[in-house]
Amino acid sequence: MHYSILLFFLIVAVISISVFVYVFLTSKQSDNNTTGMANPLQKRFWFILILLVILGIFASVTIPKSPYYLFADEQPKAVVHVAAMQFNFFMSDSAIDPKMPKGEDSITFNTNELVEFRVTSLDVNHGFAIYNASNKLIAQTQAMPGYVNRLRFKFKEPGTYHIFCLEYCGMAHQLMRTTFTVK
Amino acid sequence: MTSRLKKITSLWITTVLLLFVISIILGITMRFNQAEVIRLSPITFYTDMTVHGLTMIGIWFVAGMAAVNFIMERYVKTSKFVNILALVLTVVGVLMFWASTFIGKFHAGWTFLYPLPFKVMWSAWATPLFLYSLAVLAVGWLIWCISLIAAMLKKYSITQVFAWQYFKKGPKEETPPFILISMITLVGIVTCLITAIVLVVLLFAEYYSKGTFVNDALLMKNLTYFFGHAIANEMLYLGLAVIYEMFAEISGRPKWKTTWYVSLAWNCTLFFILTAFFHHLYMDFVQPEGLQILGQLASYLASLPAAGVTVFSIVVAVYRTKINWTLANLLFFIGVMGWVVGGLGAVIDATISNNFVLHNTLWVPAHFHTYNAMGNVLFSLGFFYWFSVNFSNSRHSEKLSALKLFLLIVGGIGFLAAFYIGGADSIPRRYSNYPAEFVHAKTLALIGGVFASIYLIGILIFFVNITRRCVKILFSQSA
Ligand code: HEM
Ligand SMILES: [Cu+2]
Repeated sequence: MHYSILLFFLIVAVISISVFVYVFLTSKQSDNNTTGMANPLQKRFWFILILLVILGIFASVTIPKSPYYLFADEQPKAVVHVAAMQFNFFMSDSAIDPKMPKGEDSITFNTNELVEFRVTSLDVNHGFAIYNASNKLIAQTQAMPGYVNRLRFKFKEPGTYHIFCLEYCGMAHQLMRTTFTVK
Repeated sequence: MTSRLKKITSLWITTVLLLFVISIILGITMRFNQAEVIRLSPITFYTDMTVHGLTMIGIWFVAGMAAVNFIMERYVKTSKFVNILALVLTVVGVLMFWASTFIGKFHAGWTFLYPLPFKVMWSAWATPLFLYSLAVLAVGWLIWCISLIAAMLKKYSITQVFAWQYFKKGPKEETPPFILISMITLVGIVTCLITAIVLVVLLFAEYYSKGTFVNDALLMKNLTYFFGHAIANEMLYLGLAVIYEMFAEISGRPKWKTTWYVSLAWNCTLFFILTAFFHHLYMDFVQPEGLQILGQLASYLASLPAAGVTVFSIVVAVYRTKINWTLANLLFFIGVMGWVVGGLGAVIDATISNNFVLHNTLWVPAHFHTYNAMGNVLFSLGFFYWFSVNFSNSRHSEKLSALKLFLLIVGGIGFLAAFYIGGADSIPRRYSNYPAEFVHAKTLALIGGVFASIYLIGILIFFVNITRRCVKILFSQSA
């Protein structure tokens, strides 16, 4: 998944750089008699049109895949309340009291069941990022004070999943983490 | 062109380059700490990070402004007093900011996202000092922008300054592209600086109310990124204004002219740049969905005028055309390339479904360092080089040109590659030390740090050559 993004980026980057290098080389080989680009206005028009079509296709393919629509018309099997606080996550099946936040020691889901995380923060902004057993980021939302973000997800593989904080929250940000299990 | 303006500009250039070298060293320090080659306390790391981020944004913003101010004098009379005032306020603001960070240990990151500045993990006085330093910078820059806008409006009408007359058949008056782009960009900057001031006022209101007034975190985040996104993008456009003016001139080619599509593109840019910032809040699911979609569409559409007009114009200007290549226009050309590549990385990340797995990973510093370190920096270096050679009457040797470019390009690519790979590998950004789960993180940090050091050597050569010539301009009797 993520390496395909990198690969895609590399391909378009190399193509763009090649065009620039090629254009530079044509300039190097030119003398006073060469005439530059023929019909630049027409070419510009086509270039913009093609770009617009490509972007349009990209937008219409990717926007429906946005996380806001993930499993939007299903009922979640498990609901987990998450309260982030410098520099901890509390996770619980029941609502968390902001004055005395407490979470469960371990959280477990079944594979392929729909889980809804209701994520908030009790102090500053934090991130709630789920990493799978091979430490790839697979889903995330923000933990913002005063708001609850609902993230729905189904975990396909059993194993230990890690949560890392992905919004800078102060000096122990890099230590802010927790885990849950999928069986 | 008055010699006073040349002296002020020389001063700006020297200041920017000096602060740049310091900030790069902080950047390399961060990478080596992440690689565990050196060991800083997390507080020191995050203080470095805060200083590095805000100083970099500040200096490349003023670098663009100083260049635009210098060139604008060709068309209209600009105020030397305001220019110097802006320099003084910038230096004062940076010193206040450094005091709050280096001495007070304030380390809320360059975005100082509410309510982090109030969760004091540093000297209590550092928060207000930091906010005052922002206020000084914002007010100084606002005065500068408004003074430049006023200078243009004295000569050009509103229609003309935005080049709207090109939408009618047979426009009677001309608008130089430089004036159009400067105007569009300065209006954007004024909007974003006013937002910064509103932000600082809201923060102060909460700070001094002692708990009776509390801000809304979502609103504050929107304001923060409206400001942060706009300033980071507009400073690139300042560089583009310089390129529209100088590329043809340095290349020995006829000057670029405004046409209807140049006018249309830049007028659209003003709109897109002010709405694309919503892509910073994709992972805040409570943000209205319409704004999220608008964020992706505006981010996509912002690339059309950029690629279709500016980049295409550079390509047309160079393709099969004999050009007098010097270090200056080469830097412009390579800078546009870096801008495009960084833009591709940005469009990928501005896609909501990708952002789901890239947001706040190293992909973010990867793409914005591409269009800064390999884009905007090169735009400004091109101008600095041209300026210092042109006005110091020095015989300019292009001896080291190839070496300098080689160091910047090789160092830059290696430094950035480590970020991109880290991003695809899900490694978080803004981590002083990496948890053991991220097995490649330390190695990548080491590679990034080593290549960044190569980049630094290239910059040091530029620094020595350019400042030497600028000092000469500064102390010359009749420049
Ligand atoms: C070779 C030169 C540079 C080096 C070695 C460098 C290094 C770094 C590093 C290591 C980080 C922290 C990355 C992380 O989140 O883990 C960073 C962040 C940043 N850099 Fe640079 N950088 C360089 C050039 C620039 C330039 C030219 C700019 C211009 C705008 C810039 C602006 C920033 C900003 C805004 C941040 C974010 C700070 C924050 O997260 O609060 N950097 N840089
Ligand atoms: Cu955090």
